[in-house]
Amino acid sequence: MKFKSKHISITIFILFAAVPVLLGFGYALLYSFGLTGILSEGFTTEYWEKTLLATEFWKSLGFSLFIAAVVMTTSLFFSLWIVISWTKNLYKGLLSYVTYLPLAFPAIVMAFFSFQLLSKSGFISRVIFNLGWIDDLSQFPDWTNDAYGVAIIFSLCLLITPFFIILYSNLYQNERIPELKALAQTLGAKKNQITTRIIVPILLKKSAFTIMLFLIFVMGTYEIPLLLGRQDPSMLSVFIIQKLQKFNLADIPQAYAVSVIYILLIATLIAVVYKTRPAFFNPEKN
Amino acid sequence: MKKALQILFILSIFFPIAFLLLLSLGRNWPYPELLPQSLSLENWEFLQKSDSKLLQTFFLSLGISILVATVTTALAFITSKHIALSKYRNKLMLLAYIPYVLSPVILAATLHFFFIYAGISGNVSGVLLAQFFIAYPFGVIILNNFWNHKTRAIEELSKTLGSSSWQTFKNVLLPISKNALLLCFFQTFLVSWFEFGLTNLIGVGSVQTLTVRVFSFVNEANIFYAALASCLLILPPMILIWINKRYIFATETVI
Amino acid sequence: MKKVHIYLILITAVLITACGGKEKEENSIDLTSASWEEIEKEAHGKTVNMMMWSGDPKINSYMKNYVAPAMKERHNIDVELSNGQGNAVVQLIMTEKQAGKKSNIDMMWINGETFYQLRQVKGLYGPFVDQLPNAQYIDLDNPFIGTDFQEPINGMETPWGNVQMTLIYNSDNVTDLPQSREDLLDFVKANPGKFTFDNHFTGLTFLKALLIDIAGGKDALAGDFNEEKYNKYSAQLWSYVKELQPYLWKNGEAFPQNVAQMHQLFASGELLFTMSNNDAEVDNKINEGVFAASSRAYVPEFGTIQNSHYLGIASDAVDKAAAMVMINFMISPEAQLEKQNPDVWGDGTVLKLDRLSQEFQEKFQNIPSRKQAPNRKDIQEKALQELAPEYMIRLAEDFRTEIINS
Repeated sequence: MKFKSKHISITIFILFAAVPVLLGFGYALLYSFGLTGILSEGFTTEYWEKTLLATEFWKSLGFSLFIAAVVMTTSLFFSLWIVISWTKNLYKGLLSYVTYLPLAFPAIVMAFFSFQLLSKSGFISRVIFNLGWIDDLSQFPDWTNDAYGVAIIFSLCLLITPFFIILYSNLYQNERIPELKALAQTLGAKKNQITTRIIVPILLKKSAFTIMLFLIFVMGTYEIPLLLGRQDPSMLSVFIIQKLQKFNLADIPQAYAVSVIYILLIATLIAVVYKTRPAFFNPEKN
Repeated sequence: MKKALQILFILSIFFPIAFLLLLSLGRNWPYPELLPQSLSLENWEFLQKSDSKLLQTFFLSLGISILVATVTTALAFITSKHIALSKYRNKLMLLAYIPYVLSPVILAATLHFFFIYAGISGNVSGVLLAQFFIAYPFGVIILNNFWNHKTRAIEELSKTLGSSSWQTFKNVLLPISKNALLLCFFQTFLVSWFEFGLTNLIGVGSVQTLTVRVFSFVNEANIFYAALASCLLILPPMILIWINKRYIFATETVI
Repeated sequence: MKKVHIYLILITAVLITACGGKEKEENSIDLTSASWEEIEKEAHGKTVNMMMWSGDPKINSYMKNYVAPAMKERHNIDVELSNGQGNAVVQLIMTEKQAGKKSNIDMMWINGETFYQLRQVKGLYGPFVDQLPNAQYIDLDNPFIGTDFQEPINGMETPWGNVQMTLIYNSDNVTDLPQSREDLLDFVKANPGKFTFDNHFTGLTFLKALLIDIAGGKDALAGDFNEEKYNKYSAQLWSYVKELQPYLWKNGEAFPQNVAQMHQLFASGELLFTMSNNDAEVDNKINEGVFAASSRAYVPEFGTIQNSHYLGIASDAVDKAAAMVMINFMISPEAQLEKQNPDVWGDGTVLKLDRLSQEFQEKFQNIPSRKQAPNRKDIQEKALQELAPEYMIRLAEDFRTEIINS
């Protein structure tokens, strides 16, 4: 009886978690080689050549990596800084509640808010104008739909930093950092040393897997670059959906080619972690 | 200095909420006015108008998210237990992580054909299933941490003392897993409540959840209605967080 | 391995089907030979799913509060409206055809480029227009109505409304309106960063008007796509746009994603101009409190594209009869009259007025006048016809390579 229910349960899991990804991957693969789709004319590598030879795709990939790297560095810096310097306050009082509130913001609202705040005619620009620092909104810096994705980075940091603040404040307790800190102090370590040599390395090491997952998350983010980005370079999800829904129907297979690359990239990353750090997948060995 | 920074931090968290509330009351906001030129409840009255259906949208979203979260949590609880007992635990978890990190909109783009084939594209059951595809692995990952040596030892103990499987489940496992289950429910609720790209694609514009409405208001260039819908979108999770924070988050990590 | 794969596909398909999804029964009569009475009878009690662009509250309200109740009352037809336009519609219909499934949508609002794409994938049902009793009133001889992107509609789609593109500005900020390409260049140079056009349908329509102007005006590019002409004139167009580029919004390095974003930038004062394919839009947006009351619309001397929007039936639609009945109502004199009222929508009619009864002729003439939107008669002489669809596809592609990626 028990044996049976276990098998059913794991079959269901594979059916709902793994099969959809596999099906989607297969469909995208077929489409990208011209093997399916209403306009397909049989096997061709034309779309793959077009995708891989065009700078557009590589720029999009590079831009997504760039955004992910900057967002994670910034978010980690602020969350570590806040947790380490405000430790005590994060566990009680107003601050302990407020930290959780940003979790209520979906990406689409954050993107909308950032646009209203940061664009040339946004709220900050209006405040600065009224202070007399600029005479015209055109003097306000370009932060939305800009080349470096400033508003994209801003929105993503707002979304992600709270997650890490919560994660680190929990780890801080679970890893007995206060005790370690006290011990180090009695051994004569300086405050700076304790932070940079003990606390930060422990927290980063413990969260390495989560950090990698978030890197992948950020690379695939859709709503935020859709509202705040520009056409070139665009982030991967936006790039794919736009190729999928353009005036030229012949571009659709290219969208699927990029999807295939994206899914492969993610699966490879996860598989590499699995090979090198199997403990991440099993909390009991963690 | 530290105090000042903390106050600034708190203000910066409340600012977006206040800002969106204010915009939702506004009309006509030319540069360089700091505030919209007229503020009234007129936009909110739009909520009740028959052709806006914003309230229906709100309840539809709520229904979808509660359903997805309930089914996911229940199923993930059982699955994660069996995965934890399996000798392939790591390999199975590997399978959970791929859909978990995959961009939902890309997953939807590659799966849309199958949804159409099954005749559930453009209706609520399709959206439910699609959201389940991303919420379920997430639920399994959250609950995976719960099944450790400690829980297993307690379970064994209960059985040694003569309880049946069902009694063990009801009287032992459920109480000790309450927090983990609440966390799982809450997180998967948010996954569903926040989802836009996938819902929009699989729902084919017919299943209008709140996020889809926010986006279409932005696309109508009506920032005031968009702000209004945004408020509806952030208030329920905010209330949930405020109420449940001490019961759920205090004991569990988010990821 | 392959067998396993198929097995998995089957399981999922069965599972998914089990979760829901019912298919509606298709019409039992042969619509092509049926009389109108038979079609009406067949349509009774059915549900029509219409997919349309829902970017304008006034249009949505017209559909929900006028068309839908009328259909319910007269034919007991339920109307379900879903949001989707252009490429999304084409994508959906393509995938549905590929899956060999009946369509999620029965009828849809389409424009020229969608008409072209849907014909490419054989996604349209028809010809059906001649069977509609009210089709007799449509002004099919008018080239702005009877041809869609240089392509005769051949009964595959029904004209529904007619609009002309206008430029929208705030009369408090702009007094000297640019009338020619040279004027526009001077204006943009004098006001750097305050002019742009979007990267979508509206912006491309604007580029088409410029292309026609460069080619020599009105009928210079009429007819089928002409590669030679396109290459010659588009080269001039890109060099003109490149001259504008450094003075455009964001130095011409980025363009608004769609017309809505452009409206928003205009409303907040970041841009001095926005554009609209709907000549009545300026009134609608002032009314909603999005644009300032001093906003106005005009058509420059070099002209703008006038085009019609259409209603089509999906080739795999389930309730084709009900869709035909609904379309017939939507082109009836009374529905067209209501739609043209500026307080309702302000959409131009596609009917030829002298074919209507005396009563309706008078009613059309007595429609309350527009407030800030230009008079249709005044802008008619500056109206340019839509070009063959390939022009748009090429312009979209070249705009990307020549301007955005450069």
